[in-house]
Amino acid sequence: MEIPTETQPEVEILNKLMKKTLISGVLIGVAFALYHNFALMPEYQGLNEGLSNYILKSGLNDTGSLNLITAVLYDYRAFDSLGESTVIFGAVSGIVLILSRKMLPVSSKGLSFIVKRTLGIMTPFIALFGFYVITHGHLTPGGGFQGGVILAAISIIFSIVYGSAFDYRRYSPQTKTALETGGALTFLGLGLAGILMEGAFLHNLGFLTAETGTLISAGSIPYINIGVGFKVGAGLAIIFYSMIQKTFEEDF
Amino acid sequence: MFNNLIFIILFMLGFYALVMKTNLIKNVIGLNLMEAAVFFWVISFSDIGGEVSIHKLGEEVTKFNDPVPQALTLTGIVIGASTAALLLTLIMELNKFSGTIDRDQLEELND
Repeated sequence: MEIPTETQPEVEILNKLMKKTLISGVLIGVAFALYHNFALMPEYQGLNEGLSNYILKSGLNDTGSLNLITAVLYDYRAFDSLGESTVIFGAVSGIVLILSRKMLPVSSKGLSFIVKRTLGIMTPFIALFGFYVITHGHLTPGGGFQGGVILAAISIIFSIVYGSAFDYRRYSPQTKTALETGGALTFLGLGLAGILMEGAFLHNLGFLTAETGTLISAGSIPYINIGVGFKVGAGLAIIFYSMIQKTFEEDF
Repeated sequence: MFNNLIFIILFMLGFYALVMKTNLIKNVIGLNLMEAAVFFWVISFSDIGGEVSIHKLGEEVTKFNDPVPQALTLTGIVIGASTAALLLTLIMELNKFSGTIDRDQLEELND
C-alpha cells in the first residue's frame, strides 16, 4: 500500500486559513492587553522632575548649546552617540564584506541633458544646505546625522541623473572610506582630548567655548557634529553603492 | 488617547507582516513598521504642547517639550536604518544563491 507523500491541496488551504485565524486571534488579544496597559499607565511626569527638568534648566549653562537635543546627544550622552556611530560602522563593514566584488558599478547611463544641467546648477546649493545643517547643529534644528543624510543624498542623485559611473569616478570608494574613518577618528580624538584636558572621556572642551549663539561655541559639539556628518554621509553612500554594484560588469 | 490607539494599530500591522507574510522583504517592512510605531508613540507621549526644546536668543520660552525622548528617537532611527540595510543586503545574497526570497519555498529547498 502506498503512503501519500503530499498533502491534499484542500487540506493545505484549510491549514493556512486556520493558521491565519489563530494568528489574528493572538494579535487581537495582544492589542487588547496593550490597550489595557495604556489605561493603567500614570500620566506623563517627565518635565516636572528628574533628568528632563535638569536638562531644561541648566542645559544651556552646562554646554552652551542652544539646541538642547544636540546637547543631550553630543554632551550628556555623547558616549551613546559614539556607540551609535559604531553601529553604523558595523553595518557598513558587514554590507561591504557581504557584497564585496571587484566590479565597477555601471547600471545606468543617466537621464536627459536638461535634467543633467539642472542638477549641475542645483548641486552646490544642496551641498551648502547639507553643510549648514551639520555645522549649525547646536543652534538650529539639525546636526551631524541629519546633514550627513543630505550629503549622502547628493551621491545618490548623482548616480541616478548622471549614470552610476560618474560618482564612482569623481569620488572613489577609497575617498569615501577615508572620510568615514576620518569622521569616526575625529569623534574618538575629541573624546581622548576630553580625557587629557577635562579628565573625563568625551567631556565638553571648555577652552573652545565662546559666546553663546555664535557659530563657534558650545565647546567641542560643532566639531563632533562635523565628524559625525562626514561619517554618516560617507557610510550611507558606501551602502548605496555596494547595493547597486552587483548587476553589470561591462566597461564604462 | 488617540496616539495609543494609532500605536497599537501600527504595531500590530507590523507584527502581522512579520509573522504571516512569507516574503522576506515584507518581513523587513513589518519590522520597520513596528519601529516607526514605537518612535511615533515615544514622541507623541512626550508632547505636552510646548515649543521645540531649542533656546532662542533674546527670547525667553516658558514651556518646552522634553528633549530626552527626541534624542533617544534620533538614536533609534539611525540604528533602524542600519539594521534594515544589513537585512536587505542579506536578503539580496540569499536571492542570489537560492533564487527565491519566499520563506515557504526556502523551507522546501531545505528538505
